[in-house]
Amino acid sequence: MSPAIEAGDWLLVDPTVARWPRRGSVVVFREPDTDELAIKRVAAGPGDRVPYADGFLILGADEAWLLSDAPDAALLAAGHGQPVDSRRYGPVPVELLVARAWFRYAPLRRLGTLRSSRRRNAAGPP
Amino acid sequence: MSRLSRWLAPSTVVRAHCDLPCGVYDPEQARIEAESCYKIIEKMGANSDAAFTTRAIHIKEERADLVKHHLDVLWHDYFKPEHLDKVPNLHELFWNATKQVSKVKASTDIADAKKLLEQIDEIDAAWKATGGNEKTRVAGRPG
Repeated sequence: MSPAIEAGDWLLVDPTVARWPRRGSVVVFREPDTDELAIKRVAAGPGDRVPYADGFLILGADEAWLLSDAPDAALLAAGHGQPVDSRRYGPVPVELLVARAWFRYAPLRRLGTLRSSRRRNAAGPP
Repeated sequence: MSRLSRWLAPSTVVRAHCDLPCGVYDPEQARIEAESCYKIIEKMGANSDAAFTTRAIHIKEERADLVKHHLDVLWHDYFKPEHLDKVPNLHELFWNATKQVSKVKASTDIADAKKLLEQIDEIDAAWKATGGNEKTRVAGRPG
């Protein structure tokens, strides 16, 4: 999720969310398949069209498309592979939503609210 | 960590993880599975027992799927756009080899399996031409 979130950031989250927050929000959720707690950005919400393969997917009424912010070139430079996000596990149903992350309180030099979105084309490439 | 820090520290850790590739990519994996296909076809020619033939076909199809998997990993994860400078026909090599795997999966003609081995050897040459040997193998492997 770099540069929005770096490893070791301390975040405040709102665990009362019951629906997918608006596009661009950062959310904590249970990863499909692994059930691991993960953090990604809402790139598209219920009913949205998401570019996929040579076409597109239409998300269900309770589904969101969650993507990592990290650009591929930065991941490659850091020795990582592809981000594990909706491009891997597909749309995420709302029952896996745990919280919306909204504020970073440490480290102090990065104190502040999490910016809503850094992507104009939030759905990103397929 | 001070008492305040301990009090403020988050109680839960969440992850934003990526793949962590091991970085080992080697056409030998595909070659060994393709050799299995070759040998199985050879053995099928020398044994007409129905049960043996059934098992041989099943195992050959499994091995052929493994060849395809290993070739796909090489193609998608090891080779990068910059390698096209050194191997301009890279995509054609993989296209032809993976198509040939499908043929071997359905075939009992040893010539098909032999052709696949030759195609994997061409990919091996491309891998070596791009430094795959030095970059991805752990030093000290017995020759």
